[in-house]
Amino acid sequence: MSAAWITILAPLLGALLIGLSPAKAARWIALSVSGVALAAILQLVMNFPGWKSGLFESEANPVPFLPEFGITLWLGYDSVAIMLALLNAVLVPLCVLGSFSAIREREREYYAWFMVLSASIMLAFASRDAILFYIGYEFTLVPMVFLIAIWGGPERKSAATKYFLYTFFGSIFVLGAILWLGVSMHAATGVWNFDIDALIAYGQSLPASTQWWLFLCLAGGFAVKVPIFQLHTWLPLAHDQAPTGGSVILAGTLLKLGTYGIFRIALPCAPEGAVALAPFFAVLCVIAVVYASLICWVQRDVKRLIAYSSIGHLALCVLGLFAFNPIGAEGSVYYMVNHGISTGALFLCIGMVYERYHTKDMERLGGLVKRMPIWAFFMGLFTFASLGLPGLNGFVGEVLCLMGTFIADSGSTPDNYPGVLGPWYATVAASGLVLAAMYLLIMLGKIVWGPLTEPHDDHHAPSGLSVDLNWREIGVLAPLAVLCLWLGLAPGYVLSNLEPACTRMLAPFPAIVQAHIAADVQTAHDSEKEQN
Amino acid sequence: MTPMLALVSSDVTTAVVDGAAFSWLGWTLALPAISAVLCTLCALLKVPGKLPAMLTVASLGASFALVLQFYQQMPATPITIHLAEWMSFSWGPTDFHALQAPLALYIDRLTVFWMLFVTGLGTLIALYASEYMEADVKSGYARFFAGVSIFLFSMTALVMGGNLLLLYLGWEGVGLASYLLIGYYYTRPAAVAAAKKAFIVNRIGDLGLALGLFLTWRCYGTIEFSELFSRIASAPSNAPWDEALIPYLFMLGAFGKSAQIPLYVWLPDAMEGPTPVSALIHAATMVTAGVYLIARMYPIFLVQPDALVVVAWVGGSTALLAATIGMAQFDLKRVWAYSTISQLGYMFLGLGVGTTFGACYHTFTHAFFKALLFLTAGAVMHGFAGQLDLRHLSGLRRVPGFRLVSWLALLGCLWLAAIPFSAAYFSKDTILATALGSDRADFRFLGWMGLFTAGLTAYYTFRIWFRVFAGPVHFVPGNDSHDADHAHAKFHPHGPRWAIRLPLILIAIGAVLSGLPGYIETFAHKENWAQWMIAGSSAVEGAGLSHGGHAEHADHGHLVLGMDAHKAASLLSGILGAIGIGIAFWIHLARRSAADSIRRTIEHTPLIGWIPRAAERKWYVDEVYHAAFRMPLWMTAHVLHFIDKHIVDAGVVDGIGRAPASLGRVFRPLYGGALQSYAVTMAGGIGLILVWLVWNWVRGVH
Amino acid sequence: MNPLLAIAADTSIIRVALLLSALLFAIGVAGFLTRRNMIIMFLCTELVFQGAALAMIAFGRLHGNLSGQVFTIFILTVAAAEAALALALVVLLYRRRETLSAEVWSELKE
Repeated sequence: MSAAWITILAPLLGALLIGLSPAKAARWIALSVSGVALAAILQLVMNFPGWKSGLFESEANPVPFLPEFGITLWLGYDSVAIMLALLNAVLVPLCVLGSFSAIREREREYYAWFMVLSASIMLAFASRDAILFYIGYEFTLVPMVFLIAIWGGPERKSAATKYFLYTFFGSIFVLGAILWLGVSMHAATGVWNFDIDALIAYGQSLPASTQWWLFLCLAGGFAVKVPIFQLHTWLPLAHDQAPTGGSVILAGTLLKLGTYGIFRIALPCAPEGAVALAPFFAVLCVIAVVYASLICWVQRDVKRLIAYSSIGHLALCVLGLFAFNPIGAEGSVYYMVNHGISTGALFLCIGMVYERYHTKDMERLGGLVKRMPIWAFFMGLFTFASLGLPGLNGFVGEVLCLMGTFIADSGSTPDNYPGVLGPWYATVAASGLVLAAMYLLIMLGKIVWGPLTEPHDDHHAPSGLSVDLNWREIGVLAPLAVLCLWLGLAPGYVLSNLEPACTRMLAPFPAIVQAHIAADVQTAHDSEKEQN
Repeated sequence: MTPMLALVSSDVTTAVVDGAAFSWLGWTLALPAISAVLCTLCALLKVPGKLPAMLTVASLGASFALVLQFYQQMPATPITIHLAEWMSFSWGPTDFHALQAPLALYIDRLTVFWMLFVTGLGTLIALYASEYMEADVKSGYARFFAGVSIFLFSMTALVMGGNLLLLYLGWEGVGLASYLLIGYYYTRPAAVAAAKKAFIVNRIGDLGLALGLFLTWRCYGTIEFSELFSRIASAPSNAPWDEALIPYLFMLGAFGKSAQIPLYVWLPDAMEGPTPVSALIHAATMVTAGVYLIARMYPIFLVQPDALVVVAWVGGSTALLAATIGMAQFDLKRVWAYSTISQLGYMFLGLGVGTTFGACYHTFTHAFFKALLFLTAGAVMHGFAGQLDLRHLSGLRRVPGFRLVSWLALLGCLWLAAIPFSAAYFSKDTILATALGSDRADFRFLGWMGLFTAGLTAYYTFRIWFRVFAGPVHFVPGNDSHDADHAHAKFHPHGPRWAIRLPLILIAIGAVLSGLPGYIETFAHKENWAQWMIAGSSAVEGAGLSHGGHAEHADHGHLVLGMDAHKAASLLSGILGAIGIGIAFWIHLARRSAADSIRRTIEHTPLIGWIPRAAERKWYVDEVYHAAFRMPLWMTAHVLHFIDKHIVDAGVVDGIGRAPASLGRVFRPLYGGALQSYAVTMAGGIGLILVWLVWNWVRGVH
Repeated sequence: MNPLLAIAADTSIIRVALLLSALLFAIGVAGFLTRRNMIIMFLCTELVFQGAALAMIAFGRLHGNLSGQVFTIFILTVAAAEAALALALVVLLYRRRETLSAEVWSELKE
């Protein structure tokens, strides 16, 4: 059995085992099976031949699943998918470790659902079959809804309902588009095949107007998951109400399923549509950067603040994808990984404070550095990573997305990758740099610095928790801190490995963009003529 | 020194040599970084004692030694040293949009010039801080030195970085260090607010720098200095609009970091940090990063001479504005903060009117005397439990233990007032002379403005000295918490020990020596050392333009009051300085009551009565910014939050979510729970179907 | 071929049977709607059933096949099982409220 299957089956088996074993063993089983998944994917990463080619490394033969419809169980990674799968494999054990003291009731169910969640995310990233991808993509909803609805905050019920319905609604468009592609490919060629690459090849052969609709459905569906501006309102609530581990995975990898979907399916399946709709989506992203950042400014709840900041950050990430050049695409993928790390870590930090003080209200917390200097160090580090301080990981993705967007126009410069955006998009989006500094430093100023403020009514430091972080919690945060520094100071290794996969995705774009621009010029020319 | 100049060819910026032989210079970058990591570990592991200070001083001293070592064998042409990869991309057949941002150093004499005083002063001030911060050995000592090390690392990256992205890393890094150190006393809300303000205002400038970087990359296809300058040189002279924008964007970055109008407001507040920080970061080194940036990118500014005019005007106006505010402040450190802004204004004026040499030389001299002034202020603060109000301090030169401090402060004041033959006299007069001798009328006007400002500077500088250090002995101790033990007994000011005295003396010697190049130039008619340092760099054209030959300049220059501009500037600034000192002597030492009565008279005079109060309140600039920018944005944020929460979410999204339920509510009465009502509904349905069938049948029949 | 089917469909009998089935159905519905006693209501549903079954037999006869009768036997079997279940439920409900009126039960509402 290949390692890709282990990453999926190990957590599933783990969930089964947890169901059969006593509650006390649940956390240890969860920790060890997620460790197994991590080991499996690390083994894959070490021996990954796809780094240089940008191609998929996959099973030799797809296992038929529903042969009548050409649906297969076909797993395989390219360098983008494996990076995101690795991110998930790193975050899950840390979340499990971080949940030891936070989850005190119905432990078995919690860890079992968590393992199911991990397995379905792994399935989505590993699938080479569109239907299989969709199964993984969609099935994440089920465990996540239970995680929110059972272990969440006071509004957990409505948060879970909204999360489920909203993202499910978006997914319908994705499923519809995938099915439509498969069915019409069957009608055209007589072959049933849901292999993503086959769908891409077919999608690219469609006329521009069809691609327009196709892209709208696909990207619009994924946009709910990202979430893109105005499709985002489920996110703050879900993040706010979810238990810490749930928030981490939600921000860390679930949202990335949306951007990954755009990268893997929406953009390559309908490049003509993508080019035509790029300005529309880019404008939404640019607005989202400013909009979300300003809203962050007036939040009182730390988790909501970070949730809104995710909206702004991921908008930048999507903007990078729509630049249609390698620098933007690579920056975007890099940003996906790094946002997962820094935001996930921030949620973990907030969770640790919440366990001690039972509040995440910024007005009721202050000057915690006095009580918890080690926590404050990590909090500061991840905050600065999140606001894009050079030398830490957030900066690399951010600046590459912005630079990619900045040069993404018809341009007078000799460039192989023309685009339809340009400096203005990047300039407005770059204002997010200032706004992010503003709201994150206000947050830092309120809860980390300042005179010590602790809620009086609650007994803090419950049993099993020290005043400052204990070794287990340091063990949760330290790997993420190391990753923050490493990915910020030496991004070259990962970036150069992402390049082939990104250029492969972008292959059809230059010609289409060129034609698009030429058509625009022609139209402008014609209308000028008419006026004359 | 002079023969070396012959080696400097005119196209010096295009000939870049690979300096692999000098890769040991990378340690200047690595040492502070290592020290930062170790100090952070000390802070986290709560290592007691002065170990962090020793680590920092040792690593900074070592990197200063390395810079000195390099200075000894400095090659004539710029060199690049490739240390490691950082961010690099390339695609396609042309390398135009290859982004090359390796961890590489670009070193020319401008770099060395800057590094000399950055690492030198850094070492001395870290040593000073080792004693100054000793009250905090148990709490924040390691954190403080971690901040200092981060600062030195970032500043080194900023100055030595071989590409704009590395410069940007340093640029933001010094911002981080500044944030951490201003907010050092984190329990004070004012310190936290000041730290936040400093970072955010700087970020606005950084945005300009980032966009400038993007645009440079877009227009020239590279951000590596070694490539960039040659591409600029070979670029066509009529720049398209986007290229023309680059210097303005860089300028914004420089104005943010170097506290110029409109982004100067963070610097006075930054005085909430410990005094060594104010001396090192907010006076001597970090705030000169803007000057460095423009000097480094001078070729790009020369393409756009209009941009330099803006720089000149902003510099000149900032110098004047800050001096007027400085005259009305009562807090010792705040006065020095405004004087720093004012002096930085002079530097920008120098850059603007074309004398990069003057600007850089002034940066150099200013670094020493301003660090000296801050450190003496720190010594006072340290000894008097945090007292800084000049109304509560007097006659310190007669207080035991403070004699040395007083005389060193006098030296600093004389240098700041730029009395003849002090270091600043040479450097500032170079700037003023160039402005006064300019062909442009507006530059000449700025020159006169600068002269007037020089008079004000002399006044407010000596206002401090005569008030605080001279006159009858009188003081009120401050209320710093760590001196609680003094509260019971009678307060005894404690004079500084060796770790404060030694750096003070060394910096004072440095301040005196920094005038040496000026002496040599004026009296021995040899080339100024600072000018020689600038000449081999990317700022060379600027240096050549204004001061390439001093005598030659005098021939062509505009005459001021019938004199050569340089002579006029020296004479006039000397006279104005003397007047300023004289007034300060009269109303702040000889007859102190006069100051109050004058103030009272002015306050009671209609039309101008508001001026002193407004100056004391910093011309209400903070308030205006608050009303013009922060408030509207804050209100927008609230409006958006309301829209997001109540309209988008609760309205549209929940509305759509409720639609099926509301549709159901229409038919709810039919399903009231009673068995029969269901049956009736059912039967009614069947009846309707029947009616419909019959209707169709009837129609079919017809 | 089944000898039963050989008999020609007598349309007049079918007509009567259909009329009877309609009558049974209508009586059943009317009774169900008007009565409140659960046992009576249940009996009425049986009438509706039988009406439907009769109609099926009649139509089977009309079409000349046995499907209607087969279906009726199914319905009878199901109805018997259902009757047992329903009566058991009614008894249970009676025990709860000591009445057979259907009006006291409206738990299905919201």
